[in-house]
Amino acid sequence: MVRLSSDPLSWVTCALFFAAAPLLSGIINKVKARLTGRVGPPVWQPYYELLRLARKETVYSTSAGFISRVAPVLVWCTVGFAALLLPLGRPAAVSFPGDIILFAYLLALGRFFQILASFDVASSFEGMGASREARFAVFAEPIFFFTIGSLAIITRCYSLDTVFAEISWHDPLFFVFVSVGVLALFFLVSAECSRMPVDDPNTHLELTMIHEVMILDASGFDLALYQHAASLKLLLYSSLAALLLNPFGVFGPAVGLLVFVATLLALAVALAAIETLMARFRLVLVPQFLLFGTAIGILNILIFTFSHRP
Amino acid sequence: MIALFAIGLALHGLNLVVPALLRDSRRLTVVGNLINAIALVCGLCFSLSTLLAYQRTEYRFELPAAGQVVIGFDGLSLFFLFTFQLLSFAGSLYAVSYLRHYVERGLSVRGHLCFFTLLILSLQLVAVVQNALIFLVVWEIMALAAYFSIVFDRQNAEVRQGGFWYLVATHASMLFLVVSFLVLHELTGSWNFDDFARHAGYDSKTLAIVLLTGFAGFGIKAGFMPFHVWLPNAHPAAPAHVSGLLSAINIKAGIYGIARLMMILPAQEASFGWGLLAVSLISAVLGVWYALAQHDIKRLLAYHSVENIGIIGLGLSVAWLGRCYALPELVVLGFAGALLHTLNHAIFKGLLFFGAGNVDLQAHGGNIEQMGGFARVIPLTAVGFLVGAISICGLPPFNGFVSEFIIYKSFFRGADLLHGYAPLLLLLAAVGLAFMGGLAVACFTKLYGIVFLGHNRAGVALRRQGEPVSSSIVLLGLASFCAVVGIFPGTGLRLIEPVLGELTGTNQTSAQWASPIGQLQIVFLLFLALVVVIYAAKVWLQGRTVVRLGETWGCGYTAVTPRMQYTASGFAAELVQLGRPMLAFTVQWTPLQSILPLARVFHSRCNDRMENGWILLNSGIGRLLGALRWIQSGNIRHYVLYVFAAVIFYLLCALVW
Repeated sequence: MVRLSSDPLSWVTCALFFAAAPLLSGIINKVKARLTGRVGPPVWQPYYELLRLARKETVYSTSAGFISRVAPVLVWCTVGFAALLLPLGRPAAVSFPGDIILFAYLLALGRFFQILASFDVASSFEGMGASREARFAVFAEPIFFFTIGSLAIITRCYSLDTVFAEISWHDPLFFVFVSVGVLALFFLVSAECSRMPVDDPNTHLELTMIHEVMILDASGFDLALYQHAASLKLLLYSSLAALLLNPFGVFGPAVGLLVFVATLLALAVALAAIETLMARFRLVLVPQFLLFGTAIGILNILIFTFSHRP
Repeated sequence: MIALFAIGLALHGLNLVVPALLRDSRRLTVVGNLINAIALVCGLCFSLSTLLAYQRTEYRFELPAAGQVVIGFDGLSLFFLFTFQLLSFAGSLYAVSYLRHYVERGLSVRGHLCFFTLLILSLQLVAVVQNALIFLVVWEIMALAAYFSIVFDRQNAEVRQGGFWYLVATHASMLFLVVSFLVLHELTGSWNFDDFARHAGYDSKTLAIVLLTGFAGFGIKAGFMPFHVWLPNAHPAAPAHVSGLLSAINIKAGIYGIARLMMILPAQEASFGWGLLAVSLISAVLGVWYALAQHDIKRLLAYHSVENIGIIGLGLSVAWLGRCYALPELVVLGFAGALLHTLNHAIFKGLLFFGAGNVDLQAHGGNIEQMGGFARVIPLTAVGFLVGAISICGLPPFNGFVSEFIIYKSFFRGADLLHGYAPLLLLLAAVGLAFMGGLAVACFTKLYGIVFLGHNRAGVALRRQGEPVSSSIVLLGLASFCAVVGIFPGTGLRLIEPVLGELTGTNQTSAQWASPIGQLQIVFLLFLALVVVIYAAKVWLQGRTVVRLGETWGCGYTAVTPRMQYTASGFAAELVQLGRPMLAFTVQWTPLQSILPLARVFHSRCNDRMENGWILLNSGIGRLLGALRWIQSGNIRHYVLYVFAAVIFYLLCALVW
């Protein structure tokens, strides 16, 4: 039942997905700059930064052990492998019934090593970031399972490859589900990808950071891996939200792709707008924010009950 | 083949006498544990070969009072026998090096080795005896042997107290079991499990009594909430090889009992299934939350056993529901998840406790706030512990993921096949499982990060001393088991195939229902290949540039000390705060007042509300019974009067009836 796609286009789209990830961050930054009346860096800026980092020397902390050396690779691979499970117009590169669970747990594995890497350098700041990351991630899992998990149970498809294809625009139930789902995933994005109002990606003070503080001691290619993994994760979750609209199933591959990209752009603009308009929450308020996200996810249960006719 | 099993038991028997013959403690540790290990190799050969070429065998013989005693090797027995033997083998090998430290402290290991052997022996018998009376006898021997193994270092008051918790719990468990089996015996007139199973006329009331007492009895042993309180007290008290076995296999005897009851009794009470689901979910979520608040490494691990028992219980409850609603697919998925998680938890919890033992020897105490940087001192332990930590969080590609995957699948299939409230409840259970996954990640990153990474918080300069060979072999061996069962899930499934076949009466379907779990190796190997490729790319790229070492970034502050690292309490504080109503988290400190404050003490503690509840209950009962103390006057004439009154009472009873 485990299927590796024989369609070369599946793998090509995945490669494009990897390549496009920094672009989304670039676009968000550009929009944000424009909204605040600045010109801002070019949208390609994240690529230049990745290239620059890859060419730079690597400095390891004297306190660091093997965890710091393997963690960047594992963090990147978990996010990268999770991306292989997404159907992007073509059948997903890797799929099997139940890969939803693998998706969630792979990302958890990446987080596991990210947190360990921040302990590895014996820094108090990084421990602080790790503590916050662990705390917010605890809420992220229920949000994911309330949305994608209940979708799986409603549609009786347990693979990301097929679950979105079941969403129909004609069933009002799914319309409600999609609106609630996109909203819940938006909460998930802000928690998991360190966006406002949970985390401020542009902060300059170690005390206030979450994701950035955890990679304070990474440098060179390691840092490039972390940065690319972070942007890939943002794209991954945004794509989940975009896939809830089932663009490929409704419009076919070509137009579907356009709709998909347009949805991503819309999400990017929304994220940028929120980051311009809002300040980061006080950290003690973040759990309330995330619990609210979980509560929205719980709405899916209602839909679920309606839809589950014997 | 059975001869091998008999030889194993005989060797254990021999080992009960060896301590009497060999006086030198140092030599005795090696010889005694190696004999156990050899005996277990024989036993493992038997159980593994019988499991792989499965054929149900049983041996019957007559015993006075107990009637016909059946020693049966069916799928369930063999599977648990294999699990018990595997971990006992690891524990015996580990004890070879670990016990040496006790010997150096001047403790005599002679008695301890006897009880340890008896524990291993009785555990194996518990799995195969199919006669309720003999089962209870063996169960009691196991309980007592475990108690005496726990209180090895009995000069220590804390050890005695922890052991006492175990003793009380295990006897409460025994009490319920006696009731349960007596009711069954009354109904069927036999002590044999087969006769219990064959009996047709169970009415729902008796069934409820048997199920509830049986679950209470086995549940206390397994450590379901609220009966879990003995675990976090007894585990830190026991030496590491014993606490490893306690958590890995002794509590699994309770799971064996529940699984056996489920196979014996007719499935009529769906409400029992839902009740078990609720208890399991509470055990799992609260278990990991309590674990998060602990500062003591073994206490933390003990709470994690409660969590994992909860996860196993989730699988069992789905299986029971499947039997109630006559859905063999759910039975297979539920049982497969539960049993596989039993094996997996045994492996990684053994690994973690043995690792904790090595840490303990380095740190001279279990308080993790005083630890840090042990990866540099005991690197092999650090690697093994890391694998165990990833596995216990249920993360791919290690074995914990496989069993949790099957349990998720059983929820999803259950939501599909059942009607009414069932899909909703199963969705909630799935979300609960995901939630505890997140908490487990927080908990084990905390444990591993604080203990093994960074610098030592106690300010001790750590020296690399070299790890004993036997403990390294055990840790890495168990770690590779985690990897093999994780990456090739078919291996684990192969071991539970016989019991699943017996449950459904067929052989082919179970593998099909458990799909795609048997084929996941492709995914995991692909993932590992990706990791290798990216790592190679990293090495190649870094080879072209410069790699150098530097100080950790301290935000410009240069006088950093190890005490400034994040602490375990600090790491977990916010999450613990969230669970405050359930966790009874207390802090004691005096706030800082002046600009240049003097030294202050900060003390935080997470009291287990349920533990407090049991203590309150205990003192309440004590007070109540204290009111009757006047009966015990100490005057011999009063006692003679009591005896006389009792005789009169019985005589009157005899006359009336």
